Amino acid sequence: MLVALALMCLALWISNSDFLGAANLATTSRNISMLGILSIGIAFVIITGGIDLSIGSVVGLTGVLIARMSSTQSGGLGYPLWVGISVALLAAVSVGLLQGLLITRLKLQPFIVTLGFMLAIRGVSQTIVDGSVISMGDSPLLDLSNGGLLKVGRDALIGWPTVIFLTVAAVGAYVLHYTVLGRYIYALGGNREAARYSGIAVDRVELLTYVISAGVAGIAGICYASYIGQMNQKVGEAYELYAIAAAVLGGCSLRGGEGTIFGILIGASIMRVIDNGINTFQFPYTDPEGIARIWRVNTNWNNIIVGAVILIAVILDQVVHMVQAARRLREAGTSKQVAGPPNKGSTPPEAAKSPAA
Amino acid sequence: MSEVPQSETPLLRMRGITKRFPGVVALQGVSLSLKAGEVLALMGENGAGKSTLMKILGGVQPPDEGEITIDGKPVVLGGVKDSKAQGIALIHQELMLAPNLDITSNIFLGNEGAKGGLFGPLNRPKMNARAAELIARVGLRMPVTTLVSRLTAGQMQMVEIAKALLTKARIIIMDEPTSSLASAESEQLFKIIRQLKADGIGIIYISHRMQEVMDLSDRITILRDGRYVGDLSRADATHDKVVAMMVGRELSNEYFPEKRERTTNEPMLEVEGLVVPGAPDRASFTARKGEILGFAGLIGAGRTELMEAIFGVTPALSGSMKLDGQPYTPTEPRKAIDAGVYLAPEDRKRHGLVLPMTVAQNTSLPNIGSYAAFGWLDRKTEQTVAEDGVKRLRTKTPTIKQAVVNLSGGNQQKVVLAKWLAMAPKVLILDEPTRGIDVGAKAEIYRHMANLADQGITILMVSSDMEETIGMSDRVVVMHERRVKGVLERHELTQLAIAGLMTGKPEAAGESNVAAS
Repeated sequence: MLVALALMCLALWISNSDFLGAANLATTSRNISMLGILSIGIAFVIITGGIDLSIGSVVGLTGVLIARMSSTQSGGLGYPLWVGISVALLAAVSVGLLQGLLITRLKLQPFIVTLGFMLAIRGVSQTIVDGSVISMGDSPLLDLSNGGLLKVGRDALIGWPTVIFLTVAAVGAYVLHYTVLGRYIYALGGNREAARYSGIAVDRVELLTYVISAGVAGIAGICYASYIGQMNQKVGEAYELYAIAAAVLGGCSLRGGEGTIFGILIGASIMRVIDNGINTFQFPYTDPEGIARIWRVNTNWNNIIVGAVILIAVILDQVVHMVQAARRLREAGTSKQVAGPPNKGSTPPEAAKSPAA
Repeated sequence: MSEVPQSETPLLRMRGITKRFPGVVALQGVSLSLKAGEVLALMGENGAGKSTLMKILGGVQPPDEGEITIDGKPVVLGGVKDSKAQGIALIHQELMLAPNLDITSNIFLGNEGAKGGLFGPLNRPKMNARAAELIARVGLRMPVTTLVSRLTAGQMQMVEIAKALLTKARIIIMDEPTSSLASAESEQLFKIIRQLKADGIGIIYISHRMQEVMDLSDRITILRDGRYVGDLSRADATHDKVVAMMVGRELSNEYFPEKRERTTNEPMLEVEGLVVPGAPDRASFTARKGEILGFAGLIGAGRTELMEAIFGVTPALSGSMKLDGQPYTPTEPRKAIDAGVYLAPEDRKRHGLVLPMTVAQNTSLPNIGSYAAFGWLDRKTEQTVAEDGVKRLRTKTPTIKQAVVNLSGGNQQKVVLAKWLAMAPKVLILDEPTRGIDVGAKAEIYRHMANLADQGITILMVSSDMEETIGMSDRVVVMHERRVKGVLERHELTQLAIAGLMTGKPEAAGESNVAAS
């Protein structure tokens, strides 16, 4: 995947040197970062073998709440920004807690629970903005998406969203790969029953993953809010699907037990580089009349290309798995020699040992 | 032994059936015959080859050698379809019905008879009428549009039989049909069987319940270790005779460690009146410090359920336990583990191991929280613990970073053991510790078990392998139909004594006097 990503970037750069220009780089890395944050959150759930469809709606809810609480424009309540952010994050975490409780206590299916929340929260956002738009005006929040480190002219090469993304990734990698909780998350996805038989409080671990997923979606929501600036009920729609796709591209299996933070980094990057590539890729050629022209990708193909890339990735992954499984089976077959029957020569029943005592 | 009269062509004859699986010969030259209108009971211990033989008849697995004739004509049963076409119906122990569909749909499932294949229209009125006829024949009186999920186990069985009748089955195989039935339902089933018999259908009846077999069957065919042992006619059969034929093998002692006098009489685990979900009776027994207490019984005798109650996976409904003199009430595995009671489950792959994880990760799983500071994984300790386990049990693995899915069954079992041995157990429950493990690894596991017992660890060993039970146990608890039937002391451990209790020999309960009268 890393190789695929590198090749893609190389091809894009060759075709259009603007790909590595400061402006495009800033945009692309911001897009990667915001999707990446979301993907890391949902990865916790996916690795346990669950699914969280409500994170897109949580992104929307966070943004709308911040706008409603802190905006000084029409529709806003004008509280300080930190109040808005706190309320929004609290709401996000509560959603995760509620979902997790329903899933672990009532043994409801994650798909249905989070689908319900996806729709319900979308409705809550719509109610909050009353079907219209709340502008953030010139709130300091907007600096979040534009500002950053290493300024080149008006563009920051390392934007704040990227900093947040790398921080979330570092913390995520720490939790997932270096803590007991992380170990339990993988164990849960690999074999829930064995984890239970090993004395792990599986319900508590599962509950935590939904809280993490929703909480991290809240953080992503803040970034999106600062980037978009005009909050309406549509913000974050279908983002959960892109996040899932990025996680799967990055090596997570929806069956659970597989996936790494580094992989998700790559997965999210691929998703966004493709998006960006569709706009920047160009191929100069000379038509039959001898006029120099530039071929560009038809932007209508965007979804076709993204969908195809995801499908190709999972098909390749599955083929590799099947080949490995077949090889294991073959090796097991050759290493085991056929032993004789457990007992040779059947003794007549009369000769059975007479009972003791 | 009675011979089938040659004057009459048997409905079914199997001759010289051999079936090999990698590592084992499941059947070796087994023969069997069945006449029309006869009930033939097939008996044998766990692993005697009954199920394999029936799978061959059902077309699920082809035999490697041997001949099958129906009405004197040789047939090839290459698949379930062939078998059905020959009029053979297999009624599995776990019923194969779709609970979400109604009686009619289940009876006709796969046999809808609609013209036009998959897209043919179903003729519901005709199907319902026919289904009503069939269930009336097996004595089931209820609307055929009733969902199967609403039926009792006995009623589901009747639907299965009705399904067999739809395809005009002439040979019906029933695999432990009464194992999930209440006694009234069993009576009803016996009535149906007698009626089917009167209709000229041949029935092969697999059961471990001696009483039923004596009441129902015309003849008993006995298998042992994949071989045909003999036939008994109903007139000749007695409980003792059948048991003797089932177990009559010589024990080989070669790979069991020598038994030492190690029981101190000091109790370690006292189980008093434990009510395990689904069991009809309270269970009581005491396991002493440093002993290997065997649990014998047929599959489904409730041993695993009892162990899961002791480990807290499915907590007991009532009753009490004491561990080392202290009250012990495990409501979840964590509590059992904290108290020093560990379980190596029967189904290693489902309950014992996280297959994609490494040897080290599996070894440390139950205990990693205790040597992690502030939730930070201590990989060094993890590595040391895992390496110790590998060394101690001589697990064959390239490194401790190998995923356990790549190890052999014996080595996987060692990883399960290592995970518990790293934590100083008081009571170690081993459910079928050597299932699916080759002979060499078995001997090693036995040696480790004996060592652990010598160190004062109490081992509860559930085993369906008679040799293992006798070879390893200091004492044996025998269970039958989810009841503790008796506890045999060391000098009473004979195959006959155990098998007698296992098959529900009534007068023997708990007494040493189990000798054939």
